[in-house]
Amino acid sequence: MTENRPNQPTEIKPAPKPRVEAGASLVLLGINHTTAPIEVRERLAIAPADLAQATRTLLRHPGIREGLIVSTCNRIEILTTQDPKDSAGTDPQANLPRFLEEYFSVPASTFTPHLYEFREQDAVRHLFRVASSLDSMVVGEPQILGQVKESYAAAREVGAVSTTLEGLLQRAFTVAKRVRTETEIGSSSVSIASVAVDLARKIFGSLNGKTVLLVGAGKMSELAARHLIQHGAANILVANRTQARAEHIAAEFLSSNCTTAIIPWDQLHDQAGRADIVITSTGSPEKIFFRSHGQQLLQRRRNRPMFFIDIAVPRDVDPHMNQVEGCFVYDIDDLQQVAQANLADRSREAAEAESIVSREVDKYQKRLSARDAVPAILALQQNAEQVREAELTRTLTKLASTGLTPAQQTAIEALTRSLTAKLLHPQLVALRKSAASEEDER
Amino acid sequence: MSLLWLKLAVLLYGLAALAVLPAALYDRPRWRHIAIPATVAAVLFHFVSLAEMLVAAHHRLPVETHELQSLFALLLAIAFLAIYDRFRTLALGIFVLPLAFLLGVLAAFRPGHEELLPLRTGWIFLHIALLLAAYAALLVSLLASLLYLVQERRLKSRTHSISWLPALGTPLEVLDQIALKSLLFGLPCMTGGLLIGSWIAQQTMGSQYFLDPKILLAFAMWVAYCIMIFIRRHSGLRGRRAVYLSSFVFLVVLTVWAANQFSAVHRFTTP
Repeated sequence: MTENRPNQPTEIKPAPKPRVEAGASLVLLGINHTTAPIEVRERLAIAPADLAQATRTLLRHPGIREGLIVSTCNRIEILTTQDPKDSAGTDPQANLPRFLEEYFSVPASTFTPHLYEFREQDAVRHLFRVASSLDSMVVGEPQILGQVKESYAAAREVGAVSTTLEGLLQRAFTVAKRVRTETEIGSSSVSIASVAVDLARKIFGSLNGKTVLLVGAGKMSELAARHLIQHGAANILVANRTQARAEHIAAEFLSSNCTTAIIPWDQLHDQAGRADIVITSTGSPEKIFFRSHGQQLLQRRRNRPMFFIDIAVPRDVDPHMNQVEGCFVYDIDDLQQVAQANLADRSREAAEAESIVSREVDKYQKRLSARDAVPAILALQQNAEQVREAELTRTLTKLASTGLTPAQQTAIEALTRSLTAKLLHPQLVALRKSAASEEDER
Repeated sequence: MSLLWLKLAVLLYGLAALAVLPAALYDRPRWRHIAIPATVAAVLFHFVSLAEMLVAAHHRLPVETHELQSLFALLLAIAFLAIYDRFRTLALGIFVLPLAFLLGVLAAFRPGHEELLPLRTGWIFLHIALLLAAYAALLVSLLASLLYLVQERRLKSRTHSISWLPALGTPLEVLDQIALKSLLFGLPCMTGGLLIGSWIAQQTMGSQYFLDPKILLAFAMWVAYCIMIFIRRHSGLRGRRAVYLSSFVFLVVLTVWAANQFSAVHRFTTP
C-alpha cells in the first residue's frame, strides 16, 4: 500500500527562525509504518495508559516547553515546542532522540535511521495530515483522530500543552473534521468485515433485530458476525457439522448483546430461512447451498431478501444462487473487489483533502504571523498612551490657573485621545500588513 | 397573483430537481441542504397559488387539465417531502421533482380557462383531490419499485461501486416499504374519491351515468388496485414482478385519465 506524502521528512538540521513563540520552535519527530518496520515500531510503542507519564518524562528534558506524544500501532510521534535558551548547554536537536533512547532503553542506532523530523510549517502540515488520516496506512480510517485526541488529553493532564500546542491541536481537530465532512475520504468501507456490514445495510437498511446464521467456523466469519452485531443484528444462529464446535462458537457470542441458537446440521436447509444474513466458512469441498435452496428459502420467507456472505474457499454457495431474485451472494473475491474499489475512491478523495490541508496550513501560518505582531502593537499603544497622559497632565496643570470647567477638561482629554488614535492608525496598519507580507514571502 | 406564486414555485421545483441529483446520487449533504428547503418553499408557494386561485374563483372550480396537473405536481412534491421526513431518502426526488417541475411549467406558463361546473364544488374538489392523491401514491409506488430494481441490479452485479448504474443510498427494504406504504395510502384515497364521485353522479345525472365506459373503466381501475395490493401483501412481491404489476395498474390509470377526453359524461375542458 502506497501513501501520499507530499512533505518529505527533512534532515535533522539547525532550526530556522523561530515562528512559534518568541524564542521557541515547533519540532515534530517520529517514525511510522512507512519509515520503520514493525520490529522497530513495537519497541517504541507506548500504551494509552502510560501516555501521561511518558509526556511528563518528556517535559523534564531541558529546552522542551510543551510536548505531546502520539503512539499507535503504526507510528510514534513527538510534537514539541523547544526553546534553545533553556536547553542548559545540551544540544536541542538531540533532545527528542535522547528521550526515546532513555525512555524505551533502546540504543539510538536502532531507530535513528528510521526517524523523520519536521519543523515549523512542515510540522504543522504533518500534524494536520496525521489528524486528517492522510498519513495513515489505510487513508481515511477514523481511529487516528481519536488517538490524537487521547494524546492531547494525556498531555493536558500533565500540563504539557500551553498556548502554542493548544492552538495548533485545536486547529488540527478542526481541519480533520473539515476533511471528513467536505470529502468522501472516510465514507466507504475498506475491510472485508466492514464491506459485509455495508452491503447488508444496503439491502436491509437498519440491521436492528436481524438474524445472522454462521455456517462453519472461521476467524473472518466470526469477525464479520461481530461487526454485524455491533450494527444492530440481534440473533446469531450457528450451524456446524460438529455439535460441540457449534456450541463452542455460540458460547463465544454469549457475551455479545445478542441471542444465540444452534441449528442441527441436518436441518440447515430447512432452518436457514430464519436468517437474514448467512455467513459460510466451512472447509467442505462440496457446495452447501445451491440455486434451488435459494428459491425454496425465498419462498418460505415470502420474498424477503437474503444476503449470503461466502468466505469459504472452495466456495460453499453456488454462485448461480445470485440469480434468484432476492438472494444476494458475495464470495471472498467479490468482497475484496468492493474493498479495493472503495480504497481507490478514497485515494481520489485524498487529493481534495490534501488541498484542504494546504489551505489550512497557510491560514494557520498567517494567523500565527498576525499574532507575532501583537506584542509590537501593544508596546506602541502603551507608549503612546503614556506620552498622551504625561502631556495631558502637564497641560492641565498649566491651565489650572485659568479655571477650566470640567466640560473643557473632558473636551481636551477627548482631543488627545482622538489625536493619538489617528496618529497611531497608519503605523498599526503597516505593522499588521508587514506581518502578513512576511508570511507570504515565506 | 396566483400565477406569480406558481411561477416562483416552478422555479424552486427546478432548482430542487437539479440539487437533488448530486444529493441523491453522490450523497452530497450540501446539495441536500438546497434540495429540501427549495422543495419546501416551492410547496408553500404552490399551495398559496392554489388557495388564491380557489378564493378568486369563488364558486367556480378550475377543472381545466393544466390546473389538475398543477395540483398533481403539488401532491407529488408533498409526497416526496413526506417520504424524506419518514425514510430520510432523496432517491425518489430524482424523478418526482423534475416531474413536478414539468407539470408546474405547463400550468404556470400555459394557463387554460376556468369553467363553471353546475355541481357542489366542495365535494367535487374532494373527489378530484382524493383521486389525484391516489394517482400520486401509485406513481410514487411505481417509482420506488423501479428504484428497487436498479438497486437490486447494482447489488447483484457484485461490483456495484464500479457499475454504470447510478448509486443510490437507499436500502432495498426501505424502497420496498415506500412502495407498499404508498399503495396502502392510495387505496382509501381512491375508494373515497370514487365513492364521492358516484354519489355526486347519482344525485345529478342518475343511474345512466354508470353505464359510461369511462366510469366502468374507473371501477375496473379500483379493482386492479385492490388486487395489486392483495398480491403484494400476500406474496411479498418485490423486484421485477412488482414493477410489472405496478406498471400494469399505472397503465390502467393512464387509460382512465385519457378516457376523460372521450367520455360523454365525465370530461375536462381542453386547454
